Amino acid sequence: MAKRIIYPLYQLGNPQLRIFRPTFNMTLVRPGKEQPPDTVQFRISMAMTKCDVRNYLEKIYSVPVSAVRTRIQYCSNKKRNHLNQRVKRPDYKVAYVQLAQQQTFQFPDIFPEKDKKSKEGSVEEMHEKFMEDERQRQKPDPRRGGVTEWFGL
Amino acid sequence: MATCTRRSLCHFLSVTLVRHNCNRNVQAKASTVKELYPPILPSSTAKSTSAKRRVVDEFFGQLRSCSVKEKIRMLTRVQRKKYVIYPQTFSLNADRWYQHYTKTAYISGLPEKYVGAEAGSALAVDESLVSEAKSVVCNYLLQEHWYLQKTSFVHKQQELSASPFLRNIVYDLRNLLAKENPVLSLSSLDYDPQINYYWLQGERTIPRGHRSGLIEPMRFQIDDRPHSQIRIPQQLPEFVLPEAEISGEVPVISLAPDLLPLFRRQYDNNIFIGTKLEDPCCYGHTQFHIVPDRFCRDNMNKRGLSNQVEVSLRANAIASLFAWTGAQAMYQGFWAEEDVSRPFVSQAVITDGQFFSFFCYQLNTLALSPRADGQNGRINLCWGTESMGLYERVTDGDVLGWNEALLRLLLQFLLNKPQ
Repeated sequence: MAKRIIYPLYQLGNPQLRIFRPTFNMTLVRPGKEQPPDTVQFRISMAMTKCDVRNYLEKIYSVPVSAVRTRIQYCSNKKRNHLNQRVKRPDYKVAYVQLAQQQTFQFPDIFPEKDKKSKEGSVEEMHEKFMEDERQRQKPDPRRGGVTEWFGL
Repeated sequence: MATCTRRSLCHFLSVTLVRHNCNRNVQAKASTVKELYPPILPSSTAKSTSAKRRVVDEFFGQLRSCSVKEKIRMLTRVQRKKYVIYPQTFSLNADRWYQHYTKTAYISGLPEKYVGAEAGSALAVDESLVSEAKSVVCNYLLQEHWYLQKTSFVHKQQELSASPFLRNIVYDLRNLLAKENPVLSLSSLDYDPQINYYWLQGERTIPRGHRSGLIEPMRFQIDDRPHSQIRIPQQLPEFVLPEAEISGEVPVISLAPDLLPLFRRQYDNNIFIGTKLEDPCCYGHTQFHIVPDRFCRDNMNKRGLSNQVEVSLRANAIASLFAWTGAQAMYQGFWAEEDVSRPFVSQAVITDGQFFSFFCYQLNTLALSPRADGQNGRINLCWGTESMGLYERVTDGDVLGWNEALLRLLLQFLLNKPQ
């Protein structure tokens, strides 16, 4: 049983103006399998329902949502700890949200491939060149055909 | 070729070299006695691709000579997990996916037959007939919406009012038009029939399990329950020639069907047009579908999916007409390896009691399986209209905002007859 969510109950006499913030969080993840362009994938709290997801996105972030599908991902129970006891990795819920109004979403490339060249004659360039030479030197001699260094004259 | 080589070698061993040099016609002689040895075939039992191909080839060759009943039984016999396509689906933008799976190009607007100049002459509807039909339809409309004060439970509205309305008008219009269109008097009208179709389309790599990494065809099944349908003993004429240049395009979808989402289930593979093989009324004329309460205009608007109303109607038409027409073609003995020699044609009307939309389908090819689809340039065609209202509302025993053109189109659909 997932953690029970208790909303702050309104009682007579309480102050009227309140902002109820959800105790949930949703994680936007990169889909493992390619999804249609209008589908966004989230990892959500186990206690969240489809309606919760829809309200969360529509009310807080004003994202138009047309359909929400959820599933629960079982995680492995195979790992053992140092006492050889089973360690369960926690399960999680996955939500697939289809956007409305022909909106599309592409998960951003957070770690773009670094393809920069350091400046000519700078310290970085010299350092890189040195490292490259060192690496070349550390490599075994291809003519020895994988025979170890000590096995020879 | 192999026999030639072997024969020449035998000869070479048995004779001296000098004589061989003199005798130049040894190759020619060998080729004439080719029948001496049977052709070399791959093994039928080995675990190799050529052996598997031979088994499949032999099976298909055997299938070509079978009777239709036997063909359908053999093609649907092996049960595997298959994607089940629901014509009335909750998935969004399903029409493009369904077009891909059925290799159908969608053309908005009706074919030449109904909109062109030809429609005026061949399918002219008599004025007296229109007025008679109007009185029939209005009568049933008032019966359901005015004379009977019906109250329904949630999600039972269509079942309670639209379904009996459609049932009555289909029955009466068929009888009314039988004198204009003699084929309708020979036709058979089914209520709530079952339509099933099973086919292979595309390939997928098995992701896990002991067969992981193998490539297998994707299987699809449609199980449809139209509200009613009219079957006729002769075939309707095609709307366009199969070789004609069509502007429509079949969308290509490279994503897995699970993302639509479609789900895989395993049960009997069925191919059925609503009647058994022996029935003489084995060609389709018109199907009538009711939009279920969930996908009605009001409910879709309430859920904020008003742009999906037409899309789901289109998806419904493409899936159910493909299933019905494909099953009719299978009943005539065609299948993926023996593609249809003549186009098959069906029509559909989808309604929620007030809004009607009209669809025509022409089946040009059944060869959708990855084995047969290689150089097959033919595509299936679906024409369709947006939904149009038959009336605006019913008040005080009167129907307001009557749409005469829609009724005329409905009559034209029913007047379509074989050549």
